[in-house]
Amino acid sequence: MNRASLHFVLAALVAIALPLFMRSGTLASEVLIFAMAAAACNLLLGYTGLLSFGQGIFFGLGSYAAGLTLLHTSLPLGAALALATIAGAVAATGVGWLSIRRQGVYFVMLTLAFSQFFYFLAYTFKDVTGGDNGLLNIPRPAIGPFALGESWAYYAFVAVLFLLVFAALQRVASSTFGRTLLAIRDNEERARAIGFPVRLFKITAFAVSGAVTGLAGALHALLIGVAPLSSIEYHMSESILIMTIIGGSGNLFASVLGAGFYVIVSDLLSSIWPRWLLLLGGLLVVVALFMQKGLWGLLERLVEALQNGRKSPVEAPVRPESEGRSI
Amino acid sequence: MSTQVPILAADNLGVRYGSFVALSDVTLSIRPNTIHSVIGPNGAGKTTLFHALTGRVRASSGRISLNGRDITHVSDDKRVPLGIARSFQVTSLFQNLSVRENLRLAAQGRTPLQALAPWRGVDPRGGALAVADEVMERLELAHVSERAAGELSHGQQRRLEVGMAVAAKPRLILLDEPTSGMGIDDVEAMKALIRDLGRDHTVLFIEHNMGIVMNISDTVTVMRAGRVLVEGPPALVRDDPEVRRAYLGNMITGDIA
Repeated sequence: MNRASLHFVLAALVAIALPLFMRSGTLASEVLIFAMAAAACNLLLGYTGLLSFGQGIFFGLGSYAAGLTLLHTSLPLGAALALATIAGAVAATGVGWLSIRRQGVYFVMLTLAFSQFFYFLAYTFKDVTGGDNGLLNIPRPAIGPFALGESWAYYAFVAVLFLLVFAALQRVASSTFGRTLLAIRDNEERARAIGFPVRLFKITAFAVSGAVTGLAGALHALLIGVAPLSSIEYHMSESILIMTIIGGSGNLFASVLGAGFYVIVSDLLSSIWPRWLLLLGGLLVVVALFMQKGLWGLLERLVEALQNGRKSPVEAPVRPESEGRSI
Repeated sequence: MSTQVPILAADNLGVRYGSFVALSDVTLSIRPNTIHSVIGPNGAGKTTLFHALTGRVRASSGRISLNGRDITHVSDDKRVPLGIARSFQVTSLFQNLSVRENLRLAAQGRTPLQALAPWRGVDPRGGALAVADEVMERLELAHVSERAAGELSHGQQRRLEVGMAVAAKPRLILLDEPTSGMGIDDVEAMKALIRDLGRDHTVLFIEHNMGIVMNISDTVTVMRAGRVLVEGPPALVRDDPEVRRAYLGNMITGDIA
């Protein structure tokens, strides 16, 4: 089995395992929704080397787009999700187009500035977005013959979309496009010198990432029945980035781990101790200092240790160069 | 000779960085299927000339044309499909990617928009990979094809650096000090390679090793302080008193074949 299919199987296992081990369908749905957002963030961070604080914009716009469609039109659920996806992609194309004109710190600052800009935009246009209160009472219509009102039914719907999106992102990552992104991340100057219009590639990466993030935002709004202002806040971008980094930016499945860990641990800790974010901060420090490959790296080491323990030392271990950079 | 359309021509090319003039009034004409070298003391503007010709630096004045077509305002990445490829003086590879992947990307760079489709597999028709394998064979890198470029020896990295330009199958290939930092054996191999490249491509190269320059060049352009000092066949350049003065004791040696 190759690496990509292994990761897909792992993602499917997560989607199957969540209902077995969790009592709340809402929380389980939240895990998969943020797994999509984190994987989309990883396409920019891990594959293209772009640290974007703009992910919250696309997430929030997706929430609003789906909410507004379902509240004010009679369009079906599928159309609402499609519009949210498009809204995310369009916003990401614009934000990407302007931000990638600068590199490094200035790029990051630009995405941060856009994040603030969209937040205040949503805050200001209260008539459209509901301002501080958010967009309330978003319905969750049935999709075809399937009613989604019950939380596990909705989970099943989210899980199917999650697996479709995950497979699509894997395809993107392993395509000639994804491989070019890796090259751009590695050495942008050389990528341009051998003929690649680097900007166009980065903008396309943004568009794909924004589309998926917009869809995740829409699913989240449907999950909680609200498109809250917090969805487009800077803090949302931060959360998505933290999930991505904790999971590890080496491959897409790592983002699923990161999102699951973040959502579940946040839920557990917040019921025990209201200052739980402090612990999360501590964890981020540990990841940044000691485990840059994130939870995925930890898992890899664990598997390796188990294999070495079982096998006789005569058997050749996996060659490090084929292990080092995973897709 | 004079009636032939030059493959690359620069007319009164100038490059300024703020008030600093890096290049001024450079007029250059590269005849097709020749090996043309650029020499000159450090700071003469050789690399800046390369940057301007490949589009990495915008010309402040003057005009560049490729096969008679004005490319002065064509961006660097768009000059690759037109048939210009280069190597860098300071090795610039995809350090974390394998040798084969480096060359595959370089071959793909001629049709970069094909790589923009996120659903398309890597090199479905195998064209770019075939080119990569061919270049690896030619540069004796086949035995390290799966190794990350960053793990290669210096000599291998310099060969791959040249290979990145070759994989684009350019009509004009620009090599910026291909032998820099190489050991003697590697230098000989590089000299043979450049001569060999001259059979299928037009080669423009910057070099400090006079043995190579005088040996394999059809034409030599000598630069000093951002200007062209002398241009001509190796024998003529070697005996030019201006050139000897420019190098001030940095003896121009090397046999003329």
